[in-house]
Amino acid sequence: MNKKVLSLFLVGVLAASIFASGCIGGEETSTTPSSTTSPSEVGGKVVWASTQLMPPAERAFLLNTVLPGFKEKTGIDAELIPIGQSDLTTRLAAEEESGKVTISLIGDLHGAIDYYESQDWLMDLSDMPALEGRTFISTFQKYSVIRGKKVYVPWMSATYVMVINKEAFKYLPEGLTEEDVIKGTEKWTYDEFLAWSKNIYEKTGKKLVGFPVKGLFHRFLHGYLYPSYTGYEVKKFESPEALEMWAYLKDLWEYVNPSSTTWDAMADPLLRGDVLIAWDHTARIKDAITKEPDKYIVAPVPRGPKGRGFILVVAGLAIPKGAPNKEGAWKLIDYLTTPKVQAETLAQTGFFPVIEEASEELPPGPLKVLAKGVAAQQSTSDALVVMIPNLGKYGGEFGELYKEAFRRIVLEGQDPAEVTKEIGARLNEIFQEVGVPLP
Amino acid sequence: MPKKVSKYVPYLLIAPALIYLAVLIGYPAIEGIKLVFYKDGGFSFATIHRAVNNYYFWPALKNTLKLVVVILPTQLVLALVFALAMNKVFKGRNVALTLLLIPMTLSDIAAGLIWYSMLSPSGFINKLLLTSGLIQTPIQLFGYQFHTREFLTLVFVELWRSTVTIFVIVLAGLQMISQEYIEAAEVFGAGYWTRLRHILIPLLKPSIQTALLLRTIYAFSIFGIVMVLVGRDIPVLAGEAYYQVTQIKDYGVGAFYALLIAVMSLTIGVIYLRLTKAEYLEVKR
Repeated sequence: MNKKVLSLFLVGVLAASIFASGCIGGEETSTTPSSTTSPSEVGGKVVWASTQLMPPAERAFLLNTVLPGFKEKTGIDAELIPIGQSDLTTRLAAEEESGKVTISLIGDLHGAIDYYESQDWLMDLSDMPALEGRTFISTFQKYSVIRGKKVYVPWMSATYVMVINKEAFKYLPEGLTEEDVIKGTEKWTYDEFLAWSKNIYEKTGKKLVGFPVKGLFHRFLHGYLYPSYTGYEVKKFESPEALEMWAYLKDLWEYVNPSSTTWDAMADPLLRGDVLIAWDHTARIKDAITKEPDKYIVAPVPRGPKGRGFILVVAGLAIPKGAPNKEGAWKLIDYLTTPKVQAETLAQTGFFPVIEEASEELPPGPLKVLAKGVAAQQSTSDALVVMIPNLGKYGGEFGELYKEAFRRIVLEGQDPAEVTKEIGARLNEIFQEVGVPLP
Repeated sequence: MPKKVSKYVPYLLIAPALIYLAVLIGYPAIEGIKLVFYKDGGFSFATIHRAVNNYYFWPALKNTLKLVVVILPTQLVLALVFALAMNKVFKGRNVALTLLLIPMTLSDIAAGLIWYSMLSPSGFINKLLLTSGLIQTPIQLFGYQFHTREFLTLVFVELWRSTVTIFVIVLAGLQMISQEYIEAAEVFGAGYWTRLRHILIPLLKPSIQTALLLRTIYAFSIFGIVMVLVGRDIPVLAGEAYYQVTQIKDYGVGAFYALLIAVMSLTIGVIYLRLTKAEYLEVKR
């Protein structure tokens, strides 16, 4: 009996070991083919992670127009991954660290790409085939080479400008002409802007100048007023020049539409007639100009004592190191920077072309109005170009701090010297922590 | 069904709800608490310190409480009045009922947008008043300089939008009250006020309790309407939680604000339950 049990047990062990070894062997054989096929599957497709053009309408433009056009031309499928900046940073870090890179193309802002480059995650693009039939605007070309390495191909650009309802020209202060404003001459200063706003108020009884305080107003503070008055975005945050700037803004605010604190974009207030002069991001005022192109002029911003500070936003296309399909990615870069797609991108999204040839593709009308204003701002002789600093996770707090300073000094009437000292200290802390020099 | 199996049926039936609560409410709540109190692997008050010292925190807390205190009682009184009026049969009752219910179909964002376009300086109401010659310059309701007006506008729009929630529950409660009580009271000569005070309101307490609980939770997390109408001119807690998470990316501070909202609604909920214990006339001495 015992012998029988033992033999049964042995048979069982033997059967189990055969079964187990078979299983393991089977798994091995079944994984091998899939591991060899998966790269080729990825290879046929370009995975494109983009932090840009993510609002629904803009995303629809990429999904319904751009990517099908690309597929038709090259036969390559592209998968768009809409992603936030911090998520993309985490994902790239994980992919580069583990060596399993799935993203072949990155679409992101200059500052973020600069950061990815500092982490050594990006390919050098100088050896890629030439992109024929287009001339990249020199400023963008210059920025895309970081520390001697061609890190990205410029993709789109944007800026923030003044939009002026032609009606406002009736109230120009003495000595300032329409041409001064449109061309951005030396006479078009922040003081003249104040005089103009005051004139409008005195003649019409209404405060018809507006800012998107709920929206991107912090960009106006750190990218326009601060550099124009102090020469820097952050470095002279608490300087006497900065205090002079805050005093100016308080004066100007007397003539700014009080509803400004409830606006997040200026297209609607312009169209409703709540304001005659507005400052905002080009994409956010595009609606007003498209709907009534004959009514508005897009003009350069005024200049301050230190020059004409304005922000240039550049988005670029970069390829991560170890990308599974860099040839496909390069083809997509090629496609995205053709004059036709660049002009279409402007028409659909309000982001400006980065190549000279695109302007030939623009039809006369609203887009020309926008493009003309942007070009005028970029070519002013006293231009002080400002890039948005890349502060990683502190990017949001950076903007909030400027808005807080504005709220406390201008809206609540707190002492500018104290507020700038307090907030300046925090700004310094952030830049130190990130290791970025004060711009 | 065998007795052994049927014993487990109730548990099986509530299991999906329990799993749902655990996964979608319990787990995030625990994660939220962890975000607030844990830092670098240990217990820490750093996040709370950061949250409480935020420039917007105290104004946000004050505004949220102010809105709750002003809106809730007003809504309750209005809802009671409407419900008592609608409880009677009269000509045009259905039309009136439909009109009252319309705001219920709108989201807070939609309601905010509608009222913003009506009340803004170039909006419909200002244009109407201007063309009829009643005012010379548009009435400015929005903007940081007009804090009180902004607050009152918020209260008005929120009343317009959400009083109906209480109204519907109270009306349902009213319709469940047996006419016999009222008739009996009438026989003994009780006037309208006496009937209202001693019969209707006490019998309505369970409905009022439910309605108030629901509305309190929503009132503490008021955000959409504030965001659309006045932005950050009147900061509120839920709005600050949103800004912290989406703009500033300080998830800990955002979680603290959310937790605070939860604790406040819970506390008020418990107080309601204590104060408005259902009364039954039969057992009341």
